[in-house]
Amino acid sequence: MPPLSILIWLPAITGLLAASLSWRPWRAHIPPASPPPDWWGQVSPAARARSVRDPGQRLSGRLALAGSLATLALAIGYITEYKGPRAGLQHVTDVTWIGELGIHYKLAISGLNVFLVGMTALLFAAATLAANLRSWERPRLFYFQFMLAESAVLGAFLAQDLALFVAFFDLMLVPFYFLIGGWGREPGRVRATLKLVIYTLVGSLLMLAAAIATGVLAARHTGGHITFVLSSLQATPLGRGSQEWIFLFFAAAFLVKMPAFPLHGWMPDGYRAMPIEVLMVFSGVLAKVGAYGFLAIVLPLYPQAAVHFQTLMLLLALASILYGSAVAFTQTDARLIAGYSSVAQLGFITLGIFSLNAQGAQGALLQMLNHGLVVAPLLFIVALLAQRSGGSEDVREMGGIAFRAPVLAALFLLVALATLAMPGSANFVGEFLILLGVFNAKLAIAAVAFAGVVMASFYALRLLIGAMHNRVGPGVRSREISLLDGAVLVPILAVVGLLSLYPQLALHRSEGSVKQAITPLRAPLSPPGPYAARGGCPPYAAQPGSGLRCRALVLGRRR
Amino acid sequence: MSATTFAWLALAMPLAGTLVLALGYRSLPGRSAGWIGTGTIVLAFVAALGALLELQDRAPAHRALTSSLWSYAVTAGIDARVSILVDPLSVFMLLVVSGVSALIHLYSVSYMDSDRGYARYFSYLNFFVFSMLLLVLAGNFLLLIVGWAFVGAASYLLISFWYRRSTATRAGIKAFVINVVGDVGLVLGTYFIFKHTHTLDLRGSFHAASAGAFVGGSGNGDLIAGCVLLLVGAFAKSAQIPLHTWLPDAMEGPTPVSALIHAATMVTAGVYLIARMHPLFERAPAAQDVGAVIGAATLLVAGTVGLAQVDIKRVIAYSTMSQIGYMIMGVSVGAYAAGLFHLMTHAFFKALLFMAAGSLIGAMAGEQSLQRMGGFRKALPFTYASFLIGGLALAGVPPFSGFFSKDEILLVTGERGGWHWALYVVGYLGALLTAVYTFRMVFRAFHGAPVAEARELERGHPHHAEVPRNPATGEPEDTDVGFPGPHHAIAERALPMRAAMALLAVGSIGAGALQIPHVDFVIDDFLRPSFGDSSLYATHGRDWLLVLGLSLGTALGLAGIAIAYRVWVMRPGSAARVRARARPLYELFVHAWYFDELIAALIARPAVAAGRFARDTFERRVVDDALIGGTTTLIRAGSAAVRAAQSGFVRYYAALLVLGVTGVGFYFLLQS
Repeated sequence: MPPLSILIWLPAITGLLAASLSWRPWRAHIPPASPPPDWWGQVSPAARARSVRDPGQRLSGRLALAGSLATLALAIGYITEYKGPRAGLQHVTDVTWIGELGIHYKLAISGLNVFLVGMTALLFAAATLAANLRSWERPRLFYFQFMLAESAVLGAFLAQDLALFVAFFDLMLVPFYFLIGGWGREPGRVRATLKLVIYTLVGSLLMLAAAIATGVLAARHTGGHITFVLSSLQATPLGRGSQEWIFLFFAAAFLVKMPAFPLHGWMPDGYRAMPIEVLMVFSGVLAKVGAYGFLAIVLPLYPQAAVHFQTLMLLLALASILYGSAVAFTQTDARLIAGYSSVAQLGFITLGIFSLNAQGAQGALLQMLNHGLVVAPLLFIVALLAQRSGGSEDVREMGGIAFRAPVLAALFLLVALATLAMPGSANFVGEFLILLGVFNAKLAIAAVAFAGVVMASFYALRLLIGAMHNRVGPGVRSREISLLDGAVLVPILAVVGLLSLYPQLALHRSEGSVKQAITPLRAPLSPPGPYAARGGCPPYAAQPGSGLRCRALVLGRRR
Repeated sequence: MSATTFAWLALAMPLAGTLVLALGYRSLPGRSAGWIGTGTIVLAFVAALGALLELQDRAPAHRALTSSLWSYAVTAGIDARVSILVDPLSVFMLLVVSGVSALIHLYSVSYMDSDRGYARYFSYLNFFVFSMLLLVLAGNFLLLIVGWAFVGAASYLLISFWYRRSTATRAGIKAFVINVVGDVGLVLGTYFIFKHTHTLDLRGSFHAASAGAFVGGSGNGDLIAGCVLLLVGAFAKSAQIPLHTWLPDAMEGPTPVSALIHAATMVTAGVYLIARMHPLFERAPAAQDVGAVIGAATLLVAGTVGLAQVDIKRVIAYSTMSQIGYMIMGVSVGAYAAGLFHLMTHAFFKALLFMAAGSLIGAMAGEQSLQRMGGFRKALPFTYASFLIGGLALAGVPPFSGFFSKDEILLVTGERGGWHWALYVVGYLGALLTAVYTFRMVFRAFHGAPVAEARELERGHPHHAEVPRNPATGEPEDTDVGFPGPHHAIAERALPMRAAMALLAVGSIGAGALQIPHVDFVIDDFLRPSFGDSSLYATHGRDWLLVLGLSLGTALGLAGIAIAYRVWVMRPGSAARVRARARPLYELFVHAWYFDELIAALIARPAVAAGRFARDTFERRVVDDALIGGTTTLIRAGSAAVRAAQSGFVRYYAALLVLGVTGVGFYFLLQS
């Protein structure tokens, strides 16, 4: 297989190519091919035909699609080549990037990210195909931003250096600001962008501070060179006090991204404003970067803090589940039902991670994959429904669509059942493992979390029935799903089906890495780190006025 | 071929049928979808017979076989494989389910003939059979839960099969959600058991239990909690109090669906579950007592409600609840063979009753109210005979099958002595109620003066409604859709329906002969290997109790019929007088003891209110105003640069990002 850099940068490069090749400055005086559609339903066939004739529109879209498909092919190659449950990094690329700061450009595949990379590539390919089915204002810029986003997400998943991870994490957000701000739906586009920027900016800054602090403090303990490579950082755990505040900073950044209650304030506006193709990847993939960050970075690097804050995190996750479910089943906007159900689903994932045992973590990892694979088709179906109900995404204005669209109805039924984690779907296996992990950690929290399972069945079916069944809604013009729309949905659903029949496929490959990620949690509270010789207390803590207490020492004595 | 191969085949047939029908729904001509669907189930039944013969060739001690195909989830301490367990219990269920299903498919070939959703219907129905067979064959907890939930999904799909009716979709979602509550119980119960046995394999768990995995014996709290939670699953699926409210509403589905899923097979899954888990339940007598008491309460409550309902399908639905109450009570007190025997006979006569009711409803052109029916005895002779046979079996009149199976459950209950005598009395009280409400249906629908529809039919003209109406609400149906179909089927005019009903009638009359006290014990002997480790299995004893039970059963059955005859035939006005005299009691029964209202007030409405509050108030006041507004204000107050950035230009935010990053970076670099 080619080095991982090719996988990461391929989308961005094709995006750039798409933008530059289809750029025809001599035709710049020609107005845009069609007015920007507010939503799917308002692109008339004539406008679509016009856009197809516009070579700039077509070429940039097709190039981006080719790039995303090539990326998908590469990602599938990495999955098939990934070797067994053996822990450890594969396909490592390690180059010193900024030597003075100890920042490496280190990428690798592990059991934690191998399937997430595959899911990212699949969802981006599907979303790019979906984007190709409609015309865009400023297509070159759109596709460039879109593909840049894919590169950044892949980078964030594959980075094995804390600073590199932070860089990709922030890079990933930039194209999305532009995608919402530039191509979002009115009304509320500006407000949504603003909210998203404020929330994620605060999160990113906290994370950056925390990342730098980790490198600096670790270097100070070892007395050696500063480094941000994850494996080195993991070998030199920080003192408990520093772990705790750094943990909180990271947690804030990741919880905003997921989003988790009560940091989900950007979500309703953001979901409403985003074009559905952007939302598919935003909800399907970006949310997982936060969860992945907990599993791949926070647990291994700050194990004591994770143990310390376990109950807090579990309660937050529980609140997300209950709150997200409760709002989802009173919402009437189909997109927001999907949005709040994601809050609840991500709550389950957080619950699994912070059960701090192998079952919960395995379940959480599987569920990240499942949620992405299910929420993207769900959102796409919402767009298809809106096409059929006169542009409205309100469930109350839909109804009776199933009769003239049996295939669409069948696909929607499968997606709805997977969303509610029907036993027999991989989502259920994920949820089973997560709740088993939580059951073993904190029984009461698992028992309450099951309420979310029941509520999920209600809101998922309510959406399905409200849209597809009952009498025909006022503005509904039902028609069967088109072949190209089917081409967006069916490959994703095929993967969902495969994972449902054989979840072991993913579980088997991630087992070793997951175990490794949670091993530090099993270590004693005051591990024999580099400063064990000083009685478990870092040198600065002994100096008066250093501002940091030696919590590890204090706690070590108490026990 | 080994028994497990046959079992895999039995599973594969309906699955193949589902896929063929689902993918070929557009290209299958005429009635071929119906015959394909029926054919696969017949093949599954043949495979089940093969499994039976193979199993009987083996020594009794070696009649439990497992087979697995692939690893499903083998990780982090759990060990779920796609595995089946073939033993007498699962083969018994396999035979009953595939046999009755085959007949109901056959009946549906005619019954659903004019419906536009013909292929969809058979695809769903085949999927149901696949799920049910998966449930009874599952070799580990995870697969059992999968089958358990699949039958719930199939039930949902078929309840809301006529999805243009809002009553049908509402009933469907209600059934699904209550069944998910049951699934949750099953999953949580599995956790409690897994915690001690460390395996999800059924046989492995039972071995671990007998090897002392549950420390503390019958007082082990986790085991009791686990078994009670399994019971929650059983109650939801088998419509036991208080998780039963979905079953009467489920009658929105087509009548053959009510016969198959909501009478003969799916709703008896709880009985199977308790019988299957007997090694665990016998170690947790407290949980067994819970099951027995709830079963007894359900049989009584449902019996009283059955007296007051007027929708014929609802009466039969409450009757189903009541009969499953007997079975649940039976398997909870250790009457495993009797409970499963009753499961089988009930499948025969209840399916027959529903089929006859379907034919009757066909003759009424969709009308289901008993108040509008009457005098169909001459117009529908075959239907009448079938309904009568089913009714006699249900009422427990000798020598029909229900007589033997029900009395055996009560016999074993009486044998247990002590407070079980209370259950015994309740059981016979229920028997009296059963006879009364069953023959109330018979007399009101078939006796008395013929209604207009019956008179027309006697002259050879089946009645057709001018405007098809939803029987539940009376609102006109959406006729352009083509479902429910415009034509109604009656058994007298459709050979497949008659054939299916005749075969079930034979079963309803003769199945009792399989197990007659002091004569033969076919069911007992066949199932014995599955219950080899049971301390309660088949404790036959005291003859006086047997004689008492059989004579009580006969007397109460006949007395019930006599009461019904007196009230509804001899003195037609007396029912109204009784109603007027016992008004509160009548209100209680007609409102089904107010369970729906109670659940709405305690659970549904508070949940919706909480959701509304979160959506309308909390989101706005706290999440938006306090958190976002607060953050915004802070930033505004804190930094002039950010205030400039509020203009909404994204490039300012990017600049801010870079600035912030650099600033924090410098801070820490200077620190080091």
